[in-house]
Amino acid sequence: MRPSGILTVARLEFRLRIRAGRWRWLVAAWFLVLLLITVLVRAAAGQQNIAGDEPALGAVMFGVVVLVVLALALLVAPALAAQSVNGDRERGTLATLQVTRLSAGEIAVGKLLASWGTALVFLAVTLPLVLWCLAEGGLSVLRVAGVYLVTALLLGVVCAFSLALSALLARSTTSGVLAYLTVFALTVGTLIAWGLVTAITQETVRASDQVCESAGNCTPYNYETTLARTDRTWWLLAPNPFAVLADSAPAGPVREIRLPDGRVVEEPLEVDILGSMSRGLHQMRIRQVPVTNQYGTSYQAAEGAQGGPVWPTGLAVNLLLAAGSVWLTTRRLRTPVDRLARGQRIA
Amino acid sequence: MTGPETLGTPPPAGPPPFAAPTPGVHARGVRRSFGPVHAVQGIDLDAPPGQVTALVGPNGAGKTTLMLVLATLLKPDAGEVRVAGFDPVTQADAVRARMGWSPDVFGLYDNLSCIEYLEVMAAAYDVPRHARADRARHLLDLARLPEKAAEPVHSLSRGQKQRLGLVRALVHDPAVLLLDEPASGLDPRSRVELRDLLRRFAAEGRAVVVSSHILSDLEEVADRVVFVDGGRTVGQHKVGELPAAQSLRTYRLRSLDPDALHRALERASVGWVSAGAGGTAGLDVEVVGGERAAARLLSELVAAGVPITAFAPLGGALEATYLDLVEGQR
Repeated sequence: MRPSGILTVARLEFRLRIRAGRWRWLVAAWFLVLLLITVLVRAAAGQQNIAGDEPALGAVMFGVVVLVVLALALLVAPALAAQSVNGDRERGTLATLQVTRLSAGEIAVGKLLASWGTALVFLAVTLPLVLWCLAEGGLSVLRVAGVYLVTALLLGVVCAFSLALSALLARSTTSGVLAYLTVFALTVGTLIAWGLVTAITQETVRASDQVCESAGNCTPYNYETTLARTDRTWWLLAPNPFAVLADSAPAGPVREIRLPDGRVVEEPLEVDILGSMSRGLHQMRIRQVPVTNQYGTSYQAAEGAQGGPVWPTGLAVNLLLAAGSVWLTTRRLRTPVDRLARGQRIA
Repeated sequence: MTGPETLGTPPPAGPPPFAAPTPGVHARGVRRSFGPVHAVQGIDLDAPPGQVTALVGPNGAGKTTLMLVLATLLKPDAGEVRVAGFDPVTQADAVRARMGWSPDVFGLYDNLSCIEYLEVMAAAYDVPRHARADRARHLLDLARLPEKAAEPVHSLSRGQKQRLGLVRALVHDPAVLLLDEPASGLDPRSRVELRDLLRRFAAEGRAVVVSSHILSDLEEVADRVVFVDGGRTVGQHKVGELPAAQSLRTYRLRSLDPDALHRALERASVGWVSAGAGGTAGLDVEVVGGERAAARLLSELVAAGVPITAFAPLGGALEATYLDLVEGQR
């Protein structure tokens, strides 16, 4: 695979995308919608004074805006790649490329770069909004950079599997629908799967409590209860793009709390939505056990159990999906063709 | 005149067909099925450099499938193929560097200008960067589209697109040119120019394989013809030695004095059968005995003082041979 071949394909495809359709209007509309949302978020956050006296307004805004950006980008990205190969087949332009000295891998990667690059244009357009968030305070440049890097990677993953679907399926409408279903599976599907599996795999544990008729006159009793083992099922939620994004975000805003003994501890702000999601995800990995003492049973982290980040697993699953997609796309573009899929034409 | 040269089966005592890389196109016993459909079940084809080889056959005869095999896009189930001396399956890149292909149906990138389109294709074929613009200009001249260089491809007429697609196949100066139905959608003037182009490509030493339904065009441009039917080669001939030229042929006769023509025909020593009156266009006559008999008939008519204005074979030898072959199969 030569970089020059990849670039030839990427430049061609990118140029075609820019010239086709009313994409300037699309980008403008995209920006306006996100601007409106940012304005509303700013107004709501300012109204409630939710950040307290800490200068965290920017972080609060950023958290909401970036989740909306990801949600909308997940809707845009499949459209950029899901007809890339079979659409070219239908238009009769693919074979004329395959018969050149470009290799299948160069065509596949070039097409991926073009659709990914287009998705990144949409992402880049949101940067002015981020500057606004930065100006409001409480937000570090590192956090912005980290979040944008991961968002960019996630969009690349969506482009990659959309491209693979367009190479696998003969009809561009089918691949388009399937690309959106895959996005749905990653976002909503992981959540449903995680919820159901967690419900099914609940453990029955023995716990005890006591009834007290009066102070000092208590009768303990045992009972059985169920306990969700999210420490075993968290990985089902890990590939969720929103989980990956929130959990991978570099540290968010904190509030300093002076304890009575004079020590100062930092406490994360609850209003930072990315941070809250991240803490929730970390919690999932901690095994909870019932602990019974004289006051009854409560649930605590099992001894030695530590929560950990979820995003490395999630991002790895996503990147694996992307790598597999590129491999599959390359395979389907390889010529001479041995076996043809039903309804697939060569030229 | 020698008998028709038939290359359908290789001579048993000849040299091994693929001992050394040979230029041009050579295919032996190519087979390819799509599931239950046997598209190609034994096609032989030889297209030497410097010649135009016509691939002729009815729809569904396997022409396009064979072209796809030659163009490194489709793996044959069986058979030996060499394009510019290389195997399109195992040495696809070497073949692609030396082979230009123009499919029967193709798309262009509508949003590119003509010059951009050719430059992109030149880049895809590894033409050095500095040479791409010149190459694209040269090809636009060849396609008679120099004034369209900056125009978007979608503004071209169908024939202009066809010509652009044709010169696209030449962007890397290939030694072998495979053209599938290049004349479809072309107006008469463009067809004449296509013929001139094909002759020129061959004169430059390229091996040109062209499939077409327009047999009269092919007859004027082709050096060799390969007839295929039902996925098989049914004959390979040099165009000058087509078998139909030797047998029964229909001629169209026209005279300033139709009555004198009729009377002279009644007295002619050459056997003939009326093939219907062509109205004002003239009289159609099937001459028994091939070209020699036709020549004798003409000289007799002239000797009888008939004012002949036209005496021309109808359809041409290629068409006649083709029809013989197709009807012979039924």
